Amino acid sequence: MDAARWERIQQLFHVAADLPPSGRQQFLEHECGPDAALIARVLELVEADRQEGAAPIDAGLAPLAVRLLGTMPKAAIPEGAFGPYRIIRVLGEGGMGVVYLAERAGVGGLVAIKVLRDAWLSPERRERFALEQRTLAQLHHPGIAQLHDAGTLADGTPWFVMEYVEGASLTTWCRDRGASLAERLRLFRSVCEAVQHAHEHAVIHRDLKPSNIQVTADGHVKLLDFGIAKQIDALETSTDQTRTGHRLMTPAYAAPEQVSGGRIGIRTDVYSLGVTLFELLVGRLPVALADRTPAEALAVLLQDEPERPSAAARREAARSNDAGRLLTEDRASWADLDVLVLTAMHKDPARRYGSATALGRDVDHFLASAPLDARPDSLRYRAGKFVRRNRGPVLAAAFGLVTLIGVSTLYAVRITAARNRAVAEADRAQRIQRFMLDLFEGGDASVGPADSLRVVELIDRGVREAQSLDGEPVAQAELYENLGSISLQLGRLEQADSLLQRSLRQRQALFGPRHADVISSLVALALLRVDQAQLDSAEVLARRAIEVGTDILPAGHPLLARSTTTLGRVLEEKGDYPEAITVLGAAVRIYEAQRQETPDFAAALGELANTHFYAGEYERSDTLNHRVLAMDKRLHGERHPRVADDLINIGAIRFQWGRYAEAEAFYREGLAIIESWYGAEHYRTASALTMLGRALLFEGRLDESDRTLRRSLAIQDRVFGGGHPRIASILNELGSIALRQGKYAEAEAQYQRMGRIYTAAYGSEHWLSALATANLGGVSYERGDHREAERLFRAAIGTFANTQGAEHQNTAIVRIRLGRALLGQHRAAEAVPELLAGYDLLMPQMSPGSTWLQRARVALAEANEQLGRDAEVARWKAEIADSGRAAAAATAARK
Amino acid sequence: MPRPDPSRPDPADPELPDQGEVAAEGLDALFTAAYAELHRLAATIRRDDPAATLTPTALVNEAWLKLRASSNLAPASRLHFKRIAGRAMRQVLVEAARRRNATKRGSGLAPVTFEDLAGHGLSTPDEVLALDEALEELGRVSPRQVAMIECRFFAGLDVAETAAMLEISEATVLRDWRAARAWLTHALSHPD
Repeated sequence: MDAARWERIQQLFHVAADLPPSGRQQFLEHECGPDAALIARVLELVEADRQEGAAPIDAGLAPLAVRLLGTMPKAAIPEGAFGPYRIIRVLGEGGMGVVYLAERAGVGGLVAIKVLRDAWLSPERRERFALEQRTLAQLHHPGIAQLHDAGTLADGTPWFVMEYVEGASLTTWCRDRGASLAERLRLFRSVCEAVQHAHEHAVIHRDLKPSNIQVTADGHVKLLDFGIAKQIDALETSTDQTRTGHRLMTPAYAAPEQVSGGRIGIRTDVYSLGVTLFELLVGRLPVALADRTPAEALAVLLQDEPERPSAAARREAARSNDAGRLLTEDRASWADLDVLVLTAMHKDPARRYGSATALGRDVDHFLASAPLDARPDSLRYRAGKFVRRNRGPVLAAAFGLVTLIGVSTLYAVRITAARNRAVAEADRAQRIQRFMLDLFEGGDASVGPADSLRVVELIDRGVREAQSLDGEPVAQAELYENLGSISLQLGRLEQADSLLQRSLRQRQALFGPRHADVISSLVALALLRVDQAQLDSAEVLARRAIEVGTDILPAGHPLLARSTTTLGRVLEEKGDYPEAITVLGAAVRIYEAQRQETPDFAAALGELANTHFYAGEYERSDTLNHRVLAMDKRLHGERHPRVADDLINIGAIRFQWGRYAEAEAFYREGLAIIESWYGAEHYRTASALTMLGRALLFEGRLDESDRTLRRSLAIQDRVFGGGHPRIASILNELGSIALRQGKYAEAEAQYQRMGRIYTAAYGSEHWLSALATANLGGVSYERGDHREAERLFRAAIGTFANTQGAEHQNTAIVRIRLGRALLGQHRAAEAVPELLAGYDLLMPQMSPGSTWLQRARVALAEANEQLGRDAEVARWKAEIADSGRAAAAATAARK
Repeated sequence: MPRPDPSRPDPADPELPDQGEVAAEGLDALFTAAYAELHRLAATIRRDDPAATLTPTALVNEAWLKLRASSNLAPASRLHFKRIAGRAMRQVLVEAARRRNATKRGSGLAPVTFEDLAGHGLSTPDEVLALDEALEELGRVSPRQVAMIECRFFAGLDVAETAAMLEISEATVLRDWRAARAWLTHALSHPD
């Protein structure tokens, strides 16, 4: 049924329904003539119209809505629901979800699976769950329970798999084994290291306490439960907790700023560590909250100074508690332990240890009988002055992470040592920057990404701090490049531009034009120009980088290989595929000569695969992509964004082959990885959504496609602005959709906007601009203006043939479209050669049942009929029937 | 590095509802909020007497009041909101029906039955899904009629509101409704 037919059926229905049965038949026969099917359709409707209350939309929705949205039967978990993991038993249940003990089939190791209960209830729940998963994905440390895997059940319920930790809580373990003071402190020291690891990834735990610190039988510490952990930058931009915290922290271990709604930071965790250490040493909590009202508890936490651990321990010893034995071990040292614990637990965050490392280092000092860094307040204020006088190196360490480690606790007599240490910290900070950068790029280090949208604040702060580094231009230039590259990753192109330019100018001023650092800046800037769609400028920059590199670097130098890859990438974006293939091939050979798989090698190979793809050489691209996929899996593991990119590329090839269901499967696999790394609002997620939306569209799953594409458009509009080529490809989709609905004006507007964007970015002689032209021709064709359609199709064919080649799929399809437009003008003799040429070119490239081949067959049958060539008509009708049957069989086989 | 972003000259047979003048981004936020709110309301109601209070109209009205009071979604008109909420309602119900079916199949539990509802409009998850499919099919030839059903049936708008929403006359609403009703009745009683 098409729209016109439905319109006709309705017209007849409205008349027929109100006629008496006798007149009805007569009326319809008169109106429909021999079209018995039409009469039958109308009579069906008339019959249905007469059934009172039988229509699905006659009764209200209410009873069913309650049935459907009401209590679900609590489903047993079906076998195989968690992939290779087999559930053994429930470990625990909470408000958010259920944790199962499970075993990996075949391998046999035990794991814990956390499942979100009632995921469908709200996006917030899913977001919180996803946040914990992303947080864990970032952390790789022997002292932190690892994330292994993640997925969703058939109904969309998300789950993730973590390392199963079989142990006892820190305090229980120590009590049961009668651990000595030194043993306790050494365990605590490992806790500090694990917490520091989280902090270096900009994650605050917020709920540190002995029950979340498990110790295994062989004495290894594992941090658990990052369920309310937060990214540092997210915390520092807002102080609210009640809104986002469905579960509050455990009050006894909570820092004053946590209960009063103040600013949360690294030192919040340091406080909780202090309370934990107190409990570990004394055998009880510093303050007893159990019998108090919440208001009283709050007052105690905010105002009461805790007892000194030594005094508390003595009183516990008098009750013959655990701590008594510890006291006798080394009585003289307890004064130092008092300072250590009370510094960690200071009510003023500024006077606590600046980091978990600083706290751990003082534990080391204590164990080595060395003087502590921490001192009572009076001395610490002088140290604060030192910090203010030495902002340079300290700020180099900053970049949003609070790394004023140790420095704030130094005292006057050790100033020289302090300066050395501050400089060392600055070095370390550079490593952190490198690390953070990898983080955003989806990284070469084996770590996960931060949630990029919220990292924006962090960068702004980094920029301000970089500006104050005037005394150290080399470090400053590097910081500018790093920050610029990160801004680029986040899609903040203007900021990236200003930072990268500054970095380049500064380096040229420092080193002259021929220096490796200058090359690095040129490459970064060239990549930015690609994203800004300023391709000529990008090419100039990339070529200059290669020229300088060839001059001053040894052959095979990584920077030279990177410059070459970048040029290839620029040429690819310009649509100069033969040249791009040559250049990228050269880059790949540089890497191959090094005989080592590296992320840059994989990236160059991937770029080469992309270029073959654009050139329409799908088999070659497929082979290369599978090679890249295997390499990326070896380099990064199974669930890395690069692996996701490869999967999506392979899906794109299947899409071109017309194997949409296969494409969808690859896209979904890639999308799941990307979304879990970058979050739901990232532009990479948006790109993956666009691809998926297209596959769904071609599978005819329109509602899903609709949702998917609009989600993508909303994200990209925000990130890139309305004039960016990325937007154009979605406009193409939406234009096609409008066309199918018969909204020609809207379709035309979408395609015109798309054409303007592409022409501005790439010029009119580019296949993407031609695509807009071809689709505008499609609008004219649907409107019945076949002459205008012909004009536009011919223009598009010219450009496609020039840019992608006369045999390319796009050229072939538009020739079929041209043939149809000619046929529409009753120029069958001219139509046949176009249709045949398009058909013959397309046949080897697409599956036989695909839309365009079928349309070509139908048009060929009709054209030959007009020309009176009966044998040809019969041939094409047979082909139509054959491929129809083949398509039906393929559909049945899929089901 | 970007990946190939292939486009091609023509898609298959898509259908999209008319989104009116709400900008895509605002619409996205609005839809998400409406969806979440409808879920929440349904969850609240399940704790009370089921049949008592839940009607699409009540849900949509309450959702609208809350959203208007609490969010920055003001630019959309009330009618526009209701139109979109109608889509949200349809989607919530379809999703719930799918969940029911998935649960049923996945766990080997007996099918959910609704004896007390039999013979009155829709009575099983499968019928909700069938209705959804039929609406999809209808939307391919007549998006306007689907929009109308979403307004009247799913969002509980009356004839005058529906007419205003779709910028057609009330007579056209009634006429379109009658034909669509007959078509759906036939489609659901004669599945292919």
